[in-house]
Amino acid sequence: MEMKLKDNLSRLPDNTAMKQQQLPACHFHFSATRILTAFFAIGALCLVMGIILILSSKSAKTIEINYTKICANCAKLQENAFNFDKECTCSIPFYLPEKMQGNVYMYYKLYGFYQNLHRYIRSRSDSQLLGIDIKNVEDCAPFEKSHNGTPIVPCGAIANSMFNDTIILSYNLNSAIHIKVPMLRSEITWWTDKYVKFQNPSSRNLSNAFAGSTKPLYWSKPAYELDEEDPGNNGFINDDFIVWMRTAAFPTFKKFYRRLNRIQHFTEGLPAGNYSFNITYITSFQGEKAVVLSTLTWDGGSGLFLGFAYTVTGAMTWLVLFSMIAAHLMLKKRKTFFLQQ
Amino acid sequence: MCYIATANLDGETNLKIRQSLAETAEIYAEKPLLSLSGRIECEGPNHHFDNFIGTLYLNGHSPVPLGPHQVLLRGTELRNTQWIVGIVVYTGSESKFMQNLVKSPLKRSSVEKVTNMQIFALFILLLVMSFLSCVGALFWNQRNRADIWYLGNKDVSPHNFGFELLVFIILYHNLIPISLLVTLEIVKYIQALFINWDEDMHYEGNNTSAMARSSNLNEELGQVRYLFSDKTGTLTCNVMTFKKCTIAGIIYGNYSEASDADRENISHLSPSFMDQCDQCEFDDPTLLKNFKNGHPTEKYIKEFLTLLCVCHTVFPEKSGNDIIYQASSPDEAALVKGAKKLGFVFTRRTPCSVTIEAMGEEQTFEILHVLEFSSNRKRMSIIARTPTGQLRLYCKGADSVICERLSEDSLFVQETLTHLGHFAAEGLRTLCIAYTDLNEKEYQEWLKEYKKASTVLQDRIKTLEECYEGIEKEFLLLGATAIEDRLQARVPETITSLLKANIRIWVLTGDKQETAINIAHSCKLISGQMPRIQLNANSFEATQQAINQNCEDLGTLLGKENDLALIVDGNTLKYALAFETKRNFLNLALSCRAVLCCRLSPIQKAEIVDSVKERVKAITLAVGDGANDVGMIQTAHVGVGISGNEGMQATNNSDYAIAQFSDLEKLLLVHGTWDYFRVTKCILYCFYKNVVLYVIELWFTFVNGFSGQILFDHWCISLYNVIFTSLPPFALGIFEKCCSKESLLKYPQLYTVSQGAEIFNTKVFWIQCMSSLLHSFILFWFPTKLLWRDMVLPGGYTTDYLFLGNIIYTYVVVTVCLQAGLETLSWNKYTHLAVWGSIIIWLVCFAIYSHFWPTIPVSPDMHGQANVILVCPLFWLGFFLIPTICLIQNLMWKLVVNTYKGSFLEQIRMLESSKVKGIHSVSKIFERVKSANQLLPQTKLSCEVVFQNDSVDQSIPHFVASSWQNLDCNFSVPHSKMPYCPVGKAETLTSDRLETATWRDTFSATGL
Repeated sequence: MEMKLKDNLSRLPDNTAMKQQQLPACHFHFSATRILTAFFAIGALCLVMGIILILSSKSAKTIEINYTKICANCAKLQENAFNFDKECTCSIPFYLPEKMQGNVYMYYKLYGFYQNLHRYIRSRSDSQLLGIDIKNVEDCAPFEKSHNGTPIVPCGAIANSMFNDTIILSYNLNSAIHIKVPMLRSEITWWTDKYVKFQNPSSRNLSNAFAGSTKPLYWSKPAYELDEEDPGNNGFINDDFIVWMRTAAFPTFKKFYRRLNRIQHFTEGLPAGNYSFNITYITSFQGEKAVVLSTLTWDGGSGLFLGFAYTVTGAMTWLVLFSMIAAHLMLKKRKTFFLQQ
Repeated sequence: MCYIATANLDGETNLKIRQSLAETAEIYAEKPLLSLSGRIECEGPNHHFDNFIGTLYLNGHSPVPLGPHQVLLRGTELRNTQWIVGIVVYTGSESKFMQNLVKSPLKRSSVEKVTNMQIFALFILLLVMSFLSCVGALFWNQRNRADIWYLGNKDVSPHNFGFELLVFIILYHNLIPISLLVTLEIVKYIQALFINWDEDMHYEGNNTSAMARSSNLNEELGQVRYLFSDKTGTLTCNVMTFKKCTIAGIIYGNYSEASDADRENISHLSPSFMDQCDQCEFDDPTLLKNFKNGHPTEKYIKEFLTLLCVCHTVFPEKSGNDIIYQASSPDEAALVKGAKKLGFVFTRRTPCSVTIEAMGEEQTFEILHVLEFSSNRKRMSIIARTPTGQLRLYCKGADSVICERLSEDSLFVQETLTHLGHFAAEGLRTLCIAYTDLNEKEYQEWLKEYKKASTVLQDRIKTLEECYEGIEKEFLLLGATAIEDRLQARVPETITSLLKANIRIWVLTGDKQETAINIAHSCKLISGQMPRIQLNANSFEATQQAINQNCEDLGTLLGKENDLALIVDGNTLKYALAFETKRNFLNLALSCRAVLCCRLSPIQKAEIVDSVKERVKAITLAVGDGANDVGMIQTAHVGVGISGNEGMQATNNSDYAIAQFSDLEKLLLVHGTWDYFRVTKCILYCFYKNVVLYVIELWFTFVNGFSGQILFDHWCISLYNVIFTSLPPFALGIFEKCCSKESLLKYPQLYTVSQGAEIFNTKVFWIQCMSSLLHSFILFWFPTKLLWRDMVLPGGYTTDYLFLGNIIYTYVVVTVCLQAGLETLSWNKYTHLAVWGSIIIWLVCFAIYSHFWPTIPVSPDMHGQANVILVCPLFWLGFFLIPTICLIQNLMWKLVVNTYKGSFLEQIRMLESSKVKGIHSVSKIFERVKSANQLLPQTKLSCEVVFQNDSVDQSIPHFVASSWQNLDCNFSVPHSKMPYCPVGKAETLTSDRLETATWRDTFSATGL
């Protein structure tokens, strides 16, 4: 008898909230009041945020000097294959109408340079850049090996096309005194890149470590001689090199170049006045090159876009909100009319 | 002789008998067995359990027929039998059991078909996108070939078009949601489990719960428009009770006529009768009185009861003092039981004899032949030698077949037929009882013929039936029995609510027309006032004419739903479903609210379902319990089997098995609606999330020179559907509820939402696609614009393409998860887990993943991404803004739709949420309604309700309005009849009025 009872029980489905689909649940109902309240809140939030962002982005100062045309003669010079290695310098004077307060960052900017091409992005050897196996040029096609078969270090299209103009900013107090603006080239890379992703081969002498390899085709000097002033900034851990190796998302991009060393005249930032860029022009390409000086705000120098996006969203939300309320009022009138009937 | 249980084959639990041939019955010792030689000829392997045709040729003997009664099939179990000796006929895959392992026809739900079309559409979209990208790449390469010196001039030669196309197809291939199929499979499986687990669909009577045998039709349950129901065992219990009989023109069983005094008289005459009176439905002492007291019809009564005891295939099982009857047909069991209670007890059966105790006197009948029952013959007979040595053929069967075979000497034909009419009008199942005496010569002749027929290999059944025909004639009518088949619990309520849910119910039965109409009446399928169209014709022309006439009468109403009942019998239907008349017939049938088809063969049932299915393009559901319903169950879109008493064949061929008819209500209205909402939402959502992410790749090609570069990390892309956004579809597919179970049962009108495929059709799909395209557009171009200036990190660091990629990916995950949240109407803890959990999982994985390189040699580009992204203020600013921009449009759209279209579903949901808020407010409203009621004069109540609902009708869609009107009709009828409304009615009425009031209240409360 007991067995029978048990059998009966076992065939009855379990009475648990889960199995009977009776889990406590919150039923969201998109009632008008709720949505409208939510709209009001979202709108208000967005408007406030937008205004804050717009105001704060005003404080960021940026100056961009396009030097493609000014240095056109250098480009022309280099078109001649014989002058390929010849250094050419051009100077671009400019006037800074307002002082740039705080940290000033210098970028170079390339127009129409597609760092995001599929074949370009793939053409690098990350294991080589770790410094463990510098002969590893597996993925670097078409810049894997030189004509005589030695591996290129660093290999690949990205490394090969590295930006190697030299830009020097000088502050012209007057026509006679030109002060070279002190610039730092350290800490311009992501920390992880400098200390984890890019490593030199563990050898005391870099040139020994790089022995048996060739410098990239378009480079004028090998990787271990990139920075003549700071021997610790050579090889794969050269800051400019690391910055370049982070391939940009858009065909027009900026790359971090230098940051202002706030000493002497420049403790406050860049004072207003006359300046000039002295650019050692190396490579030309079909796009344009520019140099950018900028200060940053708390959210980075994103410009007005985010502020506008917030403001417009907020405004649109409120617009919808008010039109809905108006519509409801009309509808309500109609409804009461029916009820009266 | 041995007993077997065939539960494994057909689920029937009763024991069956298998007998050896008389020729071999004696051979069981070792020696004769070894010396046995001969051969067996039999049919090829097939899957019919209940057929076997073979002939045994023993050396030195004449050939003997082998039938299903000599065969033990694989899968059966021996019971109550020590041992048997046999010959193996077929083994392995040739056995009937294995032959039956064929799956029932693969049914795909309409949602699935639409989905496949949509996947195909997405595939086209994929090709178009790839093609466009290729063209873009061609142009870009043409223009920029000279400028991209940094790629190495040697290798710049552009690939050919085909290769490029392939590259882009691979780039975009994720657009096709492969994960959808897996997700759906799991979701539907769990939905099926929910059906199996449902307590409400557990029937205590036979301790069975509902079972979803196939899970891929769950959402189809929410779309049923035509329901084809069997009658016996489906609408009714199929627990037969012997209710009444007519013997020799006298009707017995109207127990109200019997007085108490009579009962006392009877009690000492037949103690066993009184013992079981509580179960015995046949409760008329007059019968026994007449029998005992030498009424002129005494000998007929005796013959009648003897026949009930003898002519059957029931098998008695002794348990203690009692006898339990094992029968494959409940009718027979009911008759034998009935006879037992009247003092004619069937006690023992041997292979060739039946022993009965007629009023305490033991009699043994030698059974010579059993002429079996079949649905074609509609009768069964037994040739027996009575204890007095007389050869007699006892027959019971349907009135039509018996009447044809009555001899001219037969008495009381007219009376019996009138009584049969009475019985049928009461909804009872009738059987005519007749016998005929055979003389030896006649019998011997027939026997020869029979032997010949039974060894025929081809068409044996047909030949046998013809042979039976030869001896079943010249019947003498004794009377008729009437067996009651009670309606199952809650059948009328279920039918009412299914009708309200805009489901048309067709009853297809093999039973008599009168019985069918009666049952339809008692289960409220047709009402008294409902006009009926009856089609009973005997020829094609007559049928055609009747159909055309009725079509003309309907005129413009044809094709609309009318309050009509169409009643057709099988004979007419044969003509009606002929090619020429089929169209008109279906036109006519589809414009009626209820259709009854009687006297149908199983094939005809399937035929009707098939033609309706073809004609209306709506989802059909067939429900039945017997082997004769298997055809229609398999034909219909959804087949539901009732695990009743007629074996398990229907259940085994069905998609869903339920315990009783009333479970359909919950299965369709609750599970169907829920599952439809769940599955469709899940599908749309899967499409949405795939389009959103992968179309971004297309946008990215516009800035990367159509080079086929991926914006995201490879692993992130692969894991998108597997981990980061895998939970929300499950939450939608498993836990989503459009509204509560109670509401769905209370307002069957809600079913029309899913029935009409309103939330999942091609239009909805394209709207969803457009919306996802817009989202992907925003999700790509807004962050792009944000990062365009490249100075986004504090400290002035510049970024790379994956920085953009990861930011976009994060926004996509957030947007997509929150979109699932917006779609969800009912949040439980798992939904929260899925929505918020997915976002958190991504962020955590992202943080971990960014540290893999170089320890784990994957994705060097991802290295360090989290360190910069997660501290970038711009990222967080966009984190709140961009998903908001995407979702707020959907929210606006929802608001507009809710306000201006205000579907019935929304109103019910509003009602629910206001109920949740507090019973307080509801009770307040109740008070108000009560006071309002007091003001109204009682007599005008029904009128007032109609008026009130009318005022609500302005705001609810038309279909709801009409169904509410119907409801009102139901209420107003009793009110107009009764001066004072009964308490029950009043309660329902007030509760209805309460809702009306609550609705209005919520309208005003929300300021609408």
